[in-house]
Order: sequence, then C-alpha cells, then structure tokens
Amino acid sequence: MNEAVPYISNYIDSIIQAVPYFKTEIILAIGFLCSIFGSLFLDKIWKNSSFAISIISYALAAYCNYQQYDALGTAFFNMLHIDRFGLHAKFMLLLALIVSSILIQQHFQHSTSNKRKGDIYTILLGSSIGMSILCMTSHWLMAFIGIEMVSISSYILVGYFAETKKQTEAAMKYALFGSACAAIMLYGLSLIYGFTGVLDFADQKHMQGLIDAPKVMSGIALLFVLTGIGFKLSFVPFHLWSPDVYEGAPTPVAAFLSTAPKIAAIILFSRLIQAWGNTLFYFSEILLIFIVLVAIVSMLAGNLIALRQQNVKRMMAYSSIGHTGFLLMAALGYMAGHQEALLFYLAIYTFMNLAAFAFIDLLEKQQGNSNLSSYSGLGKQLPILFTLFSFVGISLVGIPPSAGFVGKLFVFSAIFERYQEMGDMAYIWLLIIGALTSVISLFYYFKIPLYAFLKSKTNESVGQPIGWTPSYIVAILLSILLLLFGLFPSLLMQLF
Amino acid sequence: MISITHFLVVSAIIFSIGLYAIIAKRNAIMILVGIELIINAAILNFVAFGRYDKLNYGGQVFALFAIVLAAAAVAVGLAIILAVYRKYKTINPDNITDLQD
Repeated sequence: MNEAVPYISNYIDSIIQAVPYFKTEIILAIGFLCSIFGSLFLDKIWKNSSFAISIISYALAAYCNYQQYDALGTAFFNMLHIDRFGLHAKFMLLLALIVSSILIQQHFQHSTSNKRKGDIYTILLGSSIGMSILCMTSHWLMAFIGIEMVSISSYILVGYFAETKKQTEAAMKYALFGSACAAIMLYGLSLIYGFTGVLDFADQKHMQGLIDAPKVMSGIALLFVLTGIGFKLSFVPFHLWSPDVYEGAPTPVAAFLSTAPKIAAIILFSRLIQAWGNTLFYFSEILLIFIVLVAIVSMLAGNLIALRQQNVKRMMAYSSIGHTGFLLMAALGYMAGHQEALLFYLAIYTFMNLAAFAFIDLLEKQQGNSNLSSYSGLGKQLPILFTLFSFVGISLVGIPPSAGFVGKLFVFSAIFERYQEMGDMAYIWLLIIGALTSVISLFYYFKIPLYAFLKSKTNESVGQPIGWTPSYIVAILLSILLLLFGLFPSLLMQLF
Repeated sequence: MISITHFLVVSAIIFSIGLYAIIAKRNAIMILVGIELIINAAILNFVAFGRYDKLNYGGQVFALFAIVLAAAAVAVGLAIILAVYRKYKTINPDNITDLQD
C-alpha cells in the first residue's frame, strides 16, 4: 500500500476529470435514488410518481448522451470507452427502457395486487445503469459488475409479481441458471486474470498472456467466460431459460428482457471479439469457429423449435434465440469493420420485438391468455391491430418492404464481403443457414394472420374492445417506424 | 512453503464440488450453495493471483466486488425460492416442471 501513497493525489485528480464522461450514468443513479423515495413516500399521494421519475431520468440521460458526442475519449483509467458505437447503443437502450416502462405501467394499471408497483421502475432504473456500463467498457471488472446488475434486476422483475405457480417457477429457473452461469464466468475470469495479470481485454498484454498460456487452459477459460455472456445473450446451449422465462414473466417484462439486456451484451461481445478475434494466433481461430458454430446452431434450433409452439410468448422466445444467432453474425460483421450493419440490425430488432410484445400484451389482456388458438377469427374484430401485428411478423422474417429485410440485407452483405476477403467456407455456411432459417421462420410468424384472418371463431365470447391506450399507440408508432425505415433505410443509416 | 499451485489446486477442487452440487440438482438451496462454492473458488484464485499484481491490486478489488455481488444474487435467489416453496410445498427442481414444451 505504501507504494501507492505518492500517487494518491494524481489518482484523485484523474478520477475527478473522468466524472463528466460518466454523466449519463450519474443521472440514472440519481433517478434510481429518487425513484426509491418516490415509491416510499409519494405512493399514497400520487400513484405514478416512480413512473414519472423514471421517464424523466431516461429523457435526461438521453439528452446527456446526445451531448456526449462532442466529448469522446476514455475515462477512469481506460475502464470506460466513450465512443460513438457505445453512445448509439445507449440511445437504443434508453428507448427500449422508456417503451418497456410505458408497457409495464399500462399492464399493471388495474392489477389488484397489493405489492407496491413503484418498485418495478426502480429496479428498471437499476438495471439501466448496469446496461449502459456494459455498452462502454472493455474492462472485465466493469463487465462483470454490469452483467450482475442486469441479471439481479431481471430476476427481481420476473419474480416480483409472480402470482401463479408457473410464474414463480420461471423466476426460480431464471435465477438459478443465471447465477450458475455468472459464477462459472467469474471462475473463467479469475483464470484469465492469472494468465495475463491485466483485466482490460483490449490491452496488448492481455492478448499476449493468453497466447503464452497453455492451450487447454486458455481454451477452458475462454469457454467459461463465454458462458456468462452467452446466458445474457441466450444463444445455444445457454438458451434453456428463455422460453420458460418469457412465458412465465409478465409480457412487458418479457419485452424488456428480449431487447435491452441483449443490446448491452452484444455490444460487450462485439468489443470482445474485435479485441480477440483479429490476431493471427490459434486463439482467434478457436473463437471464430466457436462463434460460427454457435450462430448456426442458434439460428437452426431457435427457428425449428419455434415451429411447433402454440403459445405466442414461447414462440417469440424461440424466435429471439434465432435472432441472437443472427446478431452473432452481425457481430462478426462488426469485427470486419461493418459497425453500421450491427447497429442497424440491433435497432430494428429492438423496434420489432417491442412492437410484437406490445401487441401480445394488448391481446393477452383482452383474451386472458396468449395461445395462438385464442386469436382465431379476431382479425375482423381488430383489423388494424392484426394488420400491424402481421406486418411486424413480416419484418421479423425479413421480407421487403419492412425494415427487417434491410437489416438482414446489410448483415448478409457484410458477411459476404468478409468471405471475399478471407475465403473462409465458414462464412458461406453462415450465409446459407441465415437465409434458410429466415424462410423457416416465415411459417410460424404467418400463423398469426392465419389464425386471425382465415380461421373462424371458436368461442363466441367477445372480449372488451381495445381502446387507444398509450401502449397501443406506442406499438402503432413502432410499426410505422418499421415501415418507414424499410422504405427509407438511409434515415436511420446516416445516424450510424 | 505454500506456492501458488497449492491455491490453484484447492480452488479447482472447490470449483468441482460446486459444479457437482449444481449438476446433481437435488434441491434448490443446494444449487445455491454450489454457486457460492464456485464463486468462492474464483475469489480464492483472484486473491492468489493478485499477489503478483502489485501495481494495480486488480485481483483483490475484483474479489471484493465479487463477494458483494454474490451476496446480492443469493439474497434474491433465496427470496424467489421462498416464493416457490409457498406455491409448490417443495424445492426439488425435478418436481417443479409446469413450464415445458
């Protein structure tokens, strides 16, 4: 400790200088504290105090994030990297958080549970800090803290309102599986720290240490670390939790889980493979083979199992596993320098999933369950909703004129360019499987219009009509955005 | 003389015991205990390796954070297991299988 004493004032100076880079997170942290006080003291006077506080803090954070574009750099001894890539991702995160907060507020508006509803916004704010840290870091300590913050918040979000048997079961499976994956990741990190002595994975010494380490050991450490990231991304074989959790969790929480944590995790993962994947040593080869394999298996497994689902939420869970495989492909594109393909696909994926879950939530409230068969014949009763829902399905498949098509096109062309440079057959396989599974996914997304428009009604009980609630309006806006970006992709593309 | 190898062997043994407790899947609490064992194996590794990283103390700091985060995760996990027990009257994961394909 004595060696550090002369440097302490230097350290403090550089920490103070780094604070402006951390403004977004500081605002979210202040919002978190205010939200706790709001739900403790203002709950009786004003029921939506925490909701309002959380929306205000997201808006302020987005404003600060916008200002940050003028002040790029690194902060806190290279622990945080403020670059355009991370800032774009944080915008998407904040958007996803605002939309899911609105959906949650609408979902629990009339619930009779005597649990304090304000706390759920507090938890969301807490997870947002973890996610925005994940978007900016290349340091293992920060990455681990971020992953754990998001995970713990997600366990609470799934478990807090659990009232039926199934919901508690989903929460337990999620918490146990997630903690086990995080623990294994921690062990892998400790091994990596031992090999390298540096915790920054973009550091040159880090790579050198991994190359010098025994092959078997560094391979095992790599696998252990990918376990933790894989759980957050839910790629095969760490996807087992996601269908159960999506089915058991309240629908808006599932909307949150399928978008925001995935954005954060894929950003971290892209930074990781960019640092590790571009060297000439065997280590990069192992990593590349692993990613290609996992991407192919995720796309196949997700889309094939989704075919035989009868519950829409379970179907969306498997479809998002398939999309994760596709996102891994986009991350490979990022490694080759196609940042915009990854960001565009990520943004479109966020819009699509939020819109789809918003529609599922509206229908679930009307019908009382989310089985496909309950949609039978509803197309005549709710023409606008089902037309837009089908359009979101089209976008998820990737058919023009939707934005999903443009996103897939960018990713495919990035990968194909990479193939022409490297001549590696693995990329061709990725392209083939990606195209094939897009066709497969057509069959299950089109079950929605099939049931709604072509099948006749089974039960005569008519649910109450769906009014112009905020969540309906948000869903419509997102669908319109999908069409707009499908017709004019440059509107979004020029931002990246 | 205790060298770094001793620490590594001990932590590898603890890791294996923890992994067995998770895979055997007898009882939800046992799974949590297994998770704790794995985390502690990792913490032991961090502190042992941290001895050689005198400049930054990265290992020790990581160990402290890992302890705090593990405690938080276990608190949430236990609360969820309690909720499961109230509904199912059992915490054996093999008997809790309502959600399936």
